[in-house]
Amino acid sequence: MVGSERLPDAQSNQPASGSVTAGSLDEALKLRKENPGLIPYAGGTDLMIEGRADAAYLFLGKVPEMKRIAQDDEFIRFGAACTFSQLICSAHTPGILRDACLQIAAPAIRNMGSIGGNIGNGSPKADSALIFMATNSMLRLVSADSERILPIRKFYLGRKKLDLAPDELIVEVLMPIHGIDNYYYKKVGGRRALAISRVAFAGIMDVRDGIICNCAAAFGSIGDVIVCLDEIDRMLVGKSVEEASALKEAYIDAYNMAIVPVAGRVSADYRKQVCMNLLRDFLESNHI
Amino acid sequence: MPAGINFNLNGNEMLYTGSPEARLLDVLRDEYRMTGTKCGCREGECGACSVIIDGKLANSCLVAMGSIDGSGVTTIEGYSKTARFAALDKAYESVSAVQCGFCIPGMILASECILAATPHPTEDEIRTGISGNLCRCTGYNAIVKAIGIAAEEGDGLW
Amino acid sequence: MKPISKSVPKIDHCAKTRGLAEYVCDYDATGMLYGRILRSKHAKADVLSINLPAMPEGYDFIDHRRIPGLNRVHIVQDDTPVFAERTVEYIGDPIGIIVGPEEREVDRLLACIEVEYDILTPEFDARKSPVAFFEYGYEKGDIAIAFAHADRIYEESFETGRQEQMYLETNGMIAEYAQGKMLVHGTMQCPYYVHTAVAEATGLLPEDVIIAQDVTGGGFGGKEDYPSVLACQAAVAAYVTGKPVRVVLSRREDVEFTSKRHPAFCDIKAAVKDGRVTAMQIEAVYDAGAYTTMTPVVLQRGVIAGGGVYSIENLKVKGEARKTNTVPSGAFRGFGGPQMFFAVEMMMSHIAKDLGEDPLDFKLAHTAKLGDATSTSGMHHFNVPLPAMMDEVAQACDYRRKKEAYADQQGRLRKGIAMSAVYHGAGFTGIGERDIIKAVVRLRKDKDGYAEILVANTDIGQGLSTAFTKIVAQELGLPFDRVIIKLPDTGRVPNSGPTVASRSVMVVGELLRRAAARLKDEWLDGEEQVIEERYVHPDFMITFDIDKFQGDAYPTFSWAATAVEVEVDTFTGDIRILGAWGSYDIGTPIDENIAVGQMEGGLVQSLGYGMMESIAAVNGRIRNNSFSDYLIPTAVDFPAVDVSLHVEEYPEGPYGAKGAGELPLVGGAPATIEAIENAIGVKLSKTPFLPEDVVKALY
Repeated sequence: MVGSERLPDAQSNQPASGSVTAGSLDEALKLRKENPGLIPYAGGTDLMIEGRADAAYLFLGKVPEMKRIAQDDEFIRFGAACTFSQLICSAHTPGILRDACLQIAAPAIRNMGSIGGNIGNGSPKADSALIFMATNSMLRLVSADSERILPIRKFYLGRKKLDLAPDELIVEVLMPIHGIDNYYYKKVGGRRALAISRVAFAGIMDVRDGIICNCAAAFGSIGDVIVCLDEIDRMLVGKSVEEASALKEAYIDAYNMAIVPVAGRVSADYRKQVCMNLLRDFLESNHI
Repeated sequence: MPAGINFNLNGNEMLYTGSPEARLLDVLRDEYRMTGTKCGCREGECGACSVIIDGKLANSCLVAMGSIDGSGVTTIEGYSKTARFAALDKAYESVSAVQCGFCIPGMILASECILAATPHPTEDEIRTGISGNLCRCTGYNAIVKAIGIAAEEGDGLW
Repeated sequence: MKPISKSVPKIDHCAKTRGLAEYVCDYDATGMLYGRILRSKHAKADVLSINLPAMPEGYDFIDHRRIPGLNRVHIVQDDTPVFAERTVEYIGDPIGIIVGPEEREVDRLLACIEVEYDILTPEFDARKSPVAFFEYGYEKGDIAIAFAHADRIYEESFETGRQEQMYLETNGMIAEYAQGKMLVHGTMQCPYYVHTAVAEATGLLPEDVIIAQDVTGGGFGGKEDYPSVLACQAAVAAYVTGKPVRVVLSRREDVEFTSKRHPAFCDIKAAVKDGRVTAMQIEAVYDAGAYTTMTPVVLQRGVIAGGGVYSIENLKVKGEARKTNTVPSGAFRGFGGPQMFFAVEMMMSHIAKDLGEDPLDFKLAHTAKLGDATSTSGMHHFNVPLPAMMDEVAQACDYRRKKEAYADQQGRLRKGIAMSAVYHGAGFTGIGERDIIKAVVRLRKDKDGYAEILVANTDIGQGLSTAFTKIVAQELGLPFDRVIIKLPDTGRVPNSGPTVASRSVMVVGELLRRAAARLKDEWLDGEEQVIEERYVHPDFMITFDIDKFQGDAYPTFSWAATAVEVEVDTFTGDIRILGAWGSYDIGTPIDENIAVGQMEGGLVQSLGYGMMESIAAVNGRIRNNSFSDYLIPTAVDFPAVDVSLHVEEYPEGPYGAKGAGELPLVGGAPATIEAIENAIGVKLSKTPFLPEDVVKALY
C-alpha cells in the first residue's frame, strides 16, 4: 500500500485527549502549570512500556532549551530532553557518563530515551542517574514562576518520590567538569545489551598532589533509591593515599554496615557481595 | 491537539487525527494496515517493531504519536523500495540469514542505521547496532555476516 | 559436499525481508471478535462461581458449559481441558474465553470478571509430588555385580532448569465457523495435531474441520502442543458466536502460560573398575506441570538417553514424570534429551577429574562404536564419528593448550574450557513412525509440468519448505521454480506427520524423494498426475518394545561435539562466553547455509540454557514473564559461534540426510557448565548457572 498516493488519514475511536506538545520552554512551563496532571514525555521509553490508556502527556522532545548541550567554566549543561545517543556523540560528555550511556539498553532505546526521563522516572536502576549521583551533579528545576538548582543527591526522597513540585520540570543537568576523570564504573546486568542493572557501581577518586580531594561511591539497583553516602566518603577526603590505605578497612566496614540491599531479580546477598567486591576494587585500583 | 499530527511516512505527508497517546506501532499496523512492522513484546525489549524516525532507529511500540509531529518515519514498506534495501536483501539472501522472519523487518532497518552511520563497520559495530533486535533462530552469525557483505557489495550506497 | 548441499535462496526469503509475509497477527481483524482467556489466579483451587460484569451487546463469555464437543484437548492423552470444569490446576489454567468486537472493551470486561475460588493445597516440588504421570525404565547387564566389583563408586545429583522457547512471534489463532465448516489458522508446527483436537472439542466431523498454518515466527517445540489448546478455545468461541474469533497472546501471557522445557532432577550412581565406568544407575524425575501434554514422549527420549554417548555395559535407568501445579511442561528442541545428557556429561567429567584424567580423553575411551549395543540393547548400525569430531573441535578451539594454561588461576578473571559429546536420536522414538504417525506424502504434477509438494510439515523458519523443494527438484531434474510448496492446510495435504523430532527432512524428505523418483519414472507430459508415498520402516531395525524399552529406539543418531570457553568475573559472577565450537553430524546437509544456520541458532540457545535462561517459578507463579526478565542472548552476548558439519551419511535418509534441528541444543549446556567449573574450581551440578550462582559458589 505504499506508493506515491497519499495514505488515508487515520481516524481514532479514542476520546479527545489532553496530551499537548510544547514548542518552547516557556510554553512547556505554562502548560505544566495549567495542567499539573500532564506527564512530562521526553523519549517515552519508560512511559510507553506502561502505556496507560488514560495518560495525558506533555511532549517535550521539541523544546530547544531542553535539547542543548553546553559548557561553562564549572559545568557541562545537559538539556533534560537530550537522548543517550546525543550524549554518546557529544564531545562534551565525560568518560564516565559516556560509558554508562553506552551500556543502556540498545541503540533504539538510546536514540529515544532521555536523561531527564531517566532521572525523573525515579528508578534506582537508572544508569545515567547513578553517574549524576556519583559526580554530585545538579538539577536545574524550573517552573513558570521559579527556578532552583538542586543537587541530585537531594532529589530522591524515597521510592519513586522526588523533590519536584507539580509545576516544575527538570530542564537541565549540570555536571561538574573538574575532578571526574578518574572514575570507576561497573554495570552488572544479566546480559551485555538490553540489560536492566542488577547492581551498578560508580566511583570517583580525585587525587591531587597525593591528596584525595574527592571520593564518591554510588550504588544503583540495590534499594528504593540510588545509594550515595557522603558521610562515609568523607572519611577519605583530605587524606593522602597512604593515610587512606590505613583507613581502607574502616571505610569498607562502614559501607558494609550501611548497605542493605533488597531482593529483586537477584537476591539481596548477591547484591551485597557484588557491591562490596566492587567497592574494594575501586579502592585497590586507586592503590588504596 | 485539534490540528492533528503531521508527519512523513515513507515519503508521504500524513495528517494523523487520532489519539496522540496511541503507539506508533498500533497506528502503523491497525490504522494504516502496514503490518511489516511486527509486535514482539510492546515493551521495547525485542526490536521487532523497529522503524526509523528522523534517521534514527526506534522501537515503534514505545513511541507515542504525539511525539512524532513533524518527524519522518520509515518502515519496511517504504525502505524495501530503496537501492540500499536491495543490497541488504541480497546479502541476507546469500547467507540464508532469514529463518522465521519475525525479527527481520526490524533487523533490516537496524542494518540500515548501522551502515548509514558507519559504511564499513567492524563486527563489533555490527553486533552493537543490532543488539536491541532479538533473533531467536539464527544465533546472529548469519545476520552479522550479511550486514558485512552488504557493506562490501553495496559500497557507495552508504 | 554433495551437489544438493549447495545453498540456494530460501523460498520464503523475499516475503519476509519485505514485511509481506502474513503471520496470524497480520490478518485484518475487521469483523472479527477479539478473544482473551480468563485464567486461574491460583495454582490449585475449585472454582465456585464466576460473576460476570454487565455484558454489552456483541460480547460473550464462554466457559466449559458451552463447549459443543468434548471438553478435552487431545494431545497424547486427553487430560487437558479446553476450559477448567471445577478444579484449576495451575496459575493460568484457562477457565473461559471472553470475546467481543473491541479489544480494549474485551480487556476491560476480562478485568471485571470476579471468580470465587476455594483454594486447595498445590504441589510445586516434583520430587515430593505423589502423582507420577509416567514411569519408564530399563536395564541392561547386571548393575548389582558391577557395583559389587567396582574399585570406586560415585554418586551425584544434577538439576536442570525450566527453559522458555521464546520464539519471536507469540501464539495466535483465528477460528471461523460458517455453514457447518470450521477453519482454524494460525501459528503452529503440527496442523494434524490441531485438527484432531479441534474436531474432538467442537464435536464436528473431521472432514468439516480444516486447519491451516500461517507463516510461523519460530516454534522450537513451543508450537507443537500448545496450538491445539488455543485452537480449541478459539474454535469453541467461533462455534458458539458464529463469528470469526481471533486470539493472539501477549508476550507476557505467552511466557507465563504456554509450555516450557521440563525442569529435571537426575541422580546418578556410577561404578568404576580399572579406570573405566562399568555401570550406571540413573534415576530421573521430570517436572511435568499440571497436565500430561507431551510429557510421556519427552520422558521416553530422556530415559533412552541414559548413559549418554557411551557404551556402558551395565545400565539401569528409571525416569518418572511427576505432576506439579505449574504450567504444563511440553516440547522444546531436544525434547527430554538435554536434561539427561547434562547429567551424564557432568558425571563423566567429574569421574574423569577424580581419576586424574582429562575429561576429553576419558569420554573418548568410553564412546560407543559401530556395532555396540545402545542403552536399550539395540544396536549402533552406523559408524559413530564422535572421536573424529571431538578431535576436530579440540583442534579448532585449541583445547589442550588452553586446558593446561587455565589449570591454576588466581585473580579476578578466570577462564575455563570444556567439551561435551552428545547425540540426538533421529525421528520419532521407537515404533512411533510405523505404528502411530504412518506418514503419507503426495506430489501433484499439473498439466503444465509444475510439481506441487503436498505434506503437512511446516516451515517454522528452519528452512523446511526450501529443503523439500530442493529434494523434489533435484530428483525430478526440474528447475527450482517448477516445484511448488504452499503453507499446509489439512483440507489439501495428507497427514505426513508433525514437524517434530528432527524427523521432517529425514523421514518426510525421503518419502518426497521417493515420490519424486517415481513421478519421474511415470512422467506423462501434459497430464495431471498424483503420486503418493507411505512410510516404510527401515528393515534393519531391531523392533523397539515400548513396554520394556528394548530394541532400536532410533534408526540412527545425529552426533555433536561441543566446546565452550568462558571467562568468569569473580567479583560480579559475570560469565563471558569467549568462544563456542560445534561439530555436528546431521548426515548430508540438504542446504549448507540452512544446516549451518540451524546449528548456530541451536548452539546459541543451548548456551542460553547453560548460563542465562532461567524461568523463575515461585509458588507456581512465573515471575520473569517478559523479554526484559527472561533473558535470551542478544547479538553482543557471544562472539560468532564456530560451527562445522561432519558428514556421516545415512543411507535411508534423502541423499544421506538425517535429523538436524534439535541436535545443537543438547550439548551446549554441559560444556558451558563444565567450563565455568574449570574456571572457578568449584564442582557444579546444575544448569543454568547464573552470575548469582557463581558468587554464591565463591563467597
